[in-house]
Amino acid sequence: MPVRLLRTTWSVAALLLLGACSTGSTVPATSSASVPARWADVLAEAKGQTVNWYMWGGDEGLNRYVDGWVSREAAKVGVTVRQVKIADTVDAVNKILGERQAGRTSDGSVDLVWVNGENFATGRQADLWACGWPSRLPNARYVDLADPAIANDFGRPVEDCEAAWNTTTSALVYDSAKVSAADVGSLAAFEQWVRAHPGRFTYPAPPDFTGSMVVRTFAYDEAGGYQGLQGSFDQTRYDGLAPRLWSRLTALGPSLWRGGDTYPASQEAVAKLFADAEIDAYFTYGVGGLGTQVAQGRLPATTRSAVFSGGSIGNANFLAIPKNSPHQAAAMVLADLLQSPAAQYEKKVNPPGYDPAIDTTKAGDFAARFAAIPVPAAELPTTVLAEAAVPEMQASWVTRLEKDWVSEVQQR
Amino acid sequence: MSAAGPDTEQRAARRAGLRVAVLLAPALLVVVGLFGTGLGLGLLQSLGYQPYLPGWSWTTDAYTGLLDDRAVRASFVLTLRMSVLATAGSAVLALGIAMLVHSTRRGRRLLTAVLQVGLPVPHLVGALAMSLMLSQSGLLSRLAYAAGLTSSPADFPALTQDRFGWAVLAEYLWKETPFVTIVALTALARGVAPLQDVAATLGARPWQRFRHVVLPLVAPAVGAASVVVLAFTFGSYEVPAVLGRPYPAPLAVVAYQRFTDTDLAVRPQAVAIGVVLAVAVTALVAVYLRLLDRLGTAR
Repeated sequence: MPVRLLRTTWSVAALLLLGACSTGSTVPATSSASVPARWADVLAEAKGQTVNWYMWGGDEGLNRYVDGWVSREAAKVGVTVRQVKIADTVDAVNKILGERQAGRTSDGSVDLVWVNGENFATGRQADLWACGWPSRLPNARYVDLADPAIANDFGRPVEDCEAAWNTTTSALVYDSAKVSAADVGSLAAFEQWVRAHPGRFTYPAPPDFTGSMVVRTFAYDEAGGYQGLQGSFDQTRYDGLAPRLWSRLTALGPSLWRGGDTYPASQEAVAKLFADAEIDAYFTYGVGGLGTQVAQGRLPATTRSAVFSGGSIGNANFLAIPKNSPHQAAAMVLADLLQSPAAQYEKKVNPPGYDPAIDTTKAGDFAARFAAIPVPAAELPTTVLAEAAVPEMQASWVTRLEKDWVSEVQQR
Repeated sequence: MSAAGPDTEQRAARRAGLRVAVLLAPALLVVVGLFGTGLGLGLLQSLGYQPYLPGWSWTTDAYTGLLDDRAVRASFVLTLRMSVLATAGSAVLALGIAMLVHSTRRGRRLLTAVLQVGLPVPHLVGALAMSLMLSQSGLLSRLAYAAGLTSSPADFPALTQDRFGWAVLAEYLWKETPFVTIVALTALARGVAPLQDVAATLGARPWQRFRHVVLPLVAPAVGAASVVVLAFTFGSYEVPAVLGRPYPAPLAVVAYQRFTDTDLAVRPQAVAIGVVLAVAVTALVAVYLRLLDRLGTAR
């Protein structure tokens, strides 16, 4: 299932930037609920607490996992999980911000947030997150904290303020009855296929989370690799790239679904077009779950996925604890549980598709079980995905690309 | 205007008026309180009031910015076209259906019941149903394929996410026509038949009876229902969100896009679009009522 956490609302970031410039109008948040230093004491304190876990609730499979397996396991250590489903992670960030502004520094209503990218960065700027705890989790020993993909979140260092939960890599999903393996060898090759088969490919209109990734994929390709678009936004580099990128995407328009006259409004709409055989290929974050859909007959048996030789954009997503959470101990215990090999394994298998944030080769007994997970023909092995993953660019680049895509491609 | 009645009558009327006002007060308080406050806050926000932004200031930039905003200009034309078409279309269709149902002696009750079936269905459900039926991989397209009329989904005409907005219009008509029809039937039920008979005995031909007897009788009711349709379709979000395009999109959709924009500075624009929407609906309703008034009184 594609993880659509970011659904960027840089607005809050703008707010905070402005806030940072103003003179001391923001109240510094203090970490009121101090968590015991010894893990045994954390466990003791967590007993009987309820964790209000704010998370994007759009995936039924994942909701069942949280409601079932996770809740059962958490109950064994005396922690009650209360999943609060939200449409967009920014809702949780806004809630914490609002509570902060209202002076609720110790009895906030959010204990744990599924977060990444800009929402995490926003919270960092506002000093919303409790830090220093992820490395303390006993199960953190399974996480490769030095791995750049885990140590950074959309180009921003994690700095021990959020615990990794999943990884995801973008891929191209295609129907091998219509598209050959050679056609998906590189972005250029695929582009050629699109031109030769007008109307059989499209992407959701940015600022859709996935649509934005497709534009970034082209941007990396146009820039000759991801390296040139790392770091903070650079006008000169952008100006050197943008005209070529927009003319390339505009030129591709007539070969897209509906002749590029319009773009689907969401990734769900694009996935439906593929399921309905209106298109033969589409980009997605995370190929997990494709196999199940094929087995259920919702996708053709010839469904395959590919990562490009030049690299596919990948990111990790995390769990963060707000400073004003009254149940930090329980939130930590839950985060630790979620990082356990058993939980990561369960999450990879049922609901299918959430790639582990832990280094599965270090996962003890589970290492063999992870290795034995069958990879459906429609999907790619985790190792292949991890190898192909290239980092996201920073939010400032993303915002600019989305805005200019609207004016330079969509409104042309 | 009737002449002033005797004193007691006037006092009784005043007392009755007071009673009505008192009885309505709780409902009015909720309406004015909730909507009034929301509208007021919206107005403030559209003028730059953003207390969560340090250094905010009063400005009309959100409104002036809308004027040369390509998405908003396209949106305004689209919104107006779709809501006027939906309103006029449902009114005409409803009038025709109401006349038909009214003229059938048997089965009138059944037909009226059938008309009411769709009323409680939410627009969102209607929109999804339209999408399942009219999209290029929808039911109709599959039937056309099975019948050998098309050989691929793309051969079927684009009725969803299309330039004109056929599916959006179809959903509006499907949902609103029965509503207006029921209202028209209620108006027709109030003794239009004897009047028509009288007109007929006086030598009025069918068209004349329709134009000068039926229409003036049902016009106020149909007009009132149409105002509801117009106001709704003008501000509708879910139907074009499901069946329409991300660009150009109706005002409500653009407002939501702006409200969830990545840039907080854009938020006053979203609210400004909302305010423009409210003002435009009010103006449209006024114009529409004026037109109907003329239609109802012209003899």
